[in-house]
Amino acid sequence: MTSTQQRDKQPDGAERRAGRILPDRETIRNQAQLPRKHIIKMAWRNIRMRLGRSALVASGIVLALAFLSYTLFSDAIAESMIAVSPPHVIRELQANGLLLQADDPDARVAARWMVGLAMLVCLVGVLNAMLLSVAERFGEIGTMKCLGAMDMLILKLFLLESFVQGLVGTLLGTAAGMGLALLESRVSYGALVWGAVDLRTAAGIAGASLIAGMLLTVAGALYPAWRASKMRPIEAMRVEV
Amino acid sequence: MDDNTSQSDHSEPGASGASEFLSSIVIRAVNVKKVYQLGGQPVHALRGVHLSVTRGEYVSIMGPSGSGKSTLFNMIGGLDKPDEGEVYIDEVDIAALDNFELAWLRCHKIGYIFQTFNLIHVASALENVMMPMMFGGITETDARDKAAELLKRVGLGHRLFNKPSQLSGGQQQRVAVARALANDPAIVLADEPTGNLDLKTGEEIIALLESLKSEFETTVISATHDHKMLAASDRVVYLSDGQISDEKSREELEITVGHIGTH
Repeated sequence: MTSTQQRDKQPDGAERRAGRILPDRETIRNQAQLPRKHIIKMAWRNIRMRLGRSALVASGIVLALAFLSYTLFSDAIAESMIAVSPPHVIRELQANGLLLQADDPDARVAARWMVGLAMLVCLVGVLNAMLLSVAERFGEIGTMKCLGAMDMLILKLFLLESFVQGLVGTLLGTAAGMGLALLESRVSYGALVWGAVDLRTAAGIAGASLIAGMLLTVAGALYPAWRASKMRPIEAMRVEV
Repeated sequence: MDDNTSQSDHSEPGASGASEFLSSIVIRAVNVKKVYQLGGQPVHALRGVHLSVTRGEYVSIMGPSGSGKSTLFNMIGGLDKPDEGEVYIDEVDIAALDNFELAWLRCHKIGYIFQTFNLIHVASALENVMMPMMFGGITETDARDKAAELLKRVGLGHRLFNKPSQLSGGQQQRVAVARALANDPAIVLADEPTGNLDLKTGEEIIALLESLKSEFETTVISATHDHKMLAASDRVVYLSDGQISDEKSREELEITVGHIGTH
């Protein structure tokens, strides 16, 4: 493709304007830049049109993020329980088999490993779902390119699509995980837990899992979206769907 | 191999003045060659094709599969570039265009109709027709209005919100025709538009294309091996083995097609 482009025989001057169809290069560039709002609308339309698949991608993220935020928040609550409770309460709780993990560094490391593994599985899941979503749309992408969609537009559409899926999945997952952690602690420690929950810590954990979720999604979607955008229209069209 | 007299044969219509002559030719292919590598073997898809098409003309490209029809078609559509020779669209060499400009050209000036319809199956008929307009930066409300109008024009005013799977083959191709006209293209390219349709629906699509051609004053180029399509053509170009083997104008066709039509 580059070799043919180098055979640039036609000068850029007046000769190019001989025709009536093509305006000058600058006009084309300007018209090719679609407003952001416009692109977001298109991506939103794409998500709405295939809500089922979007939900599937999002559900993987929900699970992973729920696990992450649950583990982090449970740990944080247990830690502050130990910090704020008088020794006899701690001993009593530990006699009931609670708060043991917070005291045991090995168990906590194991839990972190589990979370890491869950993140990895989630990343692979997003990558897989996005690759599938691109493969399933080969013909569609080719058609879109024939109809005049730019590479950048395709890239942006796919990234935006996964961004929204990631955001929804992350928010739901974080809410579910932290809610579950709080509920479990309330059941285990009773009303004592309200003294142990620190709003700032909770917000920090929510923020961290939000960032983790978005990073995960974007990392998983980048390659498939790039591949989709680089596809040449005729090649994409040739794939039978 | 040098029987390419075609260019001088059919460029007569606007030949009165040089500038007028230039601007009336919308597509010009000069000695176009293309070689594909297929399993290590070179396949000569095009072996030096000369062709020019005048504004508002309806040209059919006939030829069996493997004749290089699709390759020529892709080049006229700005989807592929020749290995040798030049393709000019409105006197601009497509090899001189970057990806931006090619995409712009495809979006604003060329309308495609495919054999397999190629509608976006999760989108409604209306959304399918809106799509090229959205790519062209037209606002959603304007695109919606125009798409509805176009669908009405092709006889699907009552089917705006149906998905392609809820439409018959003929109806799907009508949606595709409406979509091809979305950005008021100068050229409509129809690649075997009746290939997947039965006789009657195929004829309806051809009639539609013919009426749209005069209504919108677009140049229509269709690749086909369907003889029915010839009746609507101003000119038929026969392609075989990567070369133009014959050409017939409408007058010459009326005799032969009329003959074919009677039995």
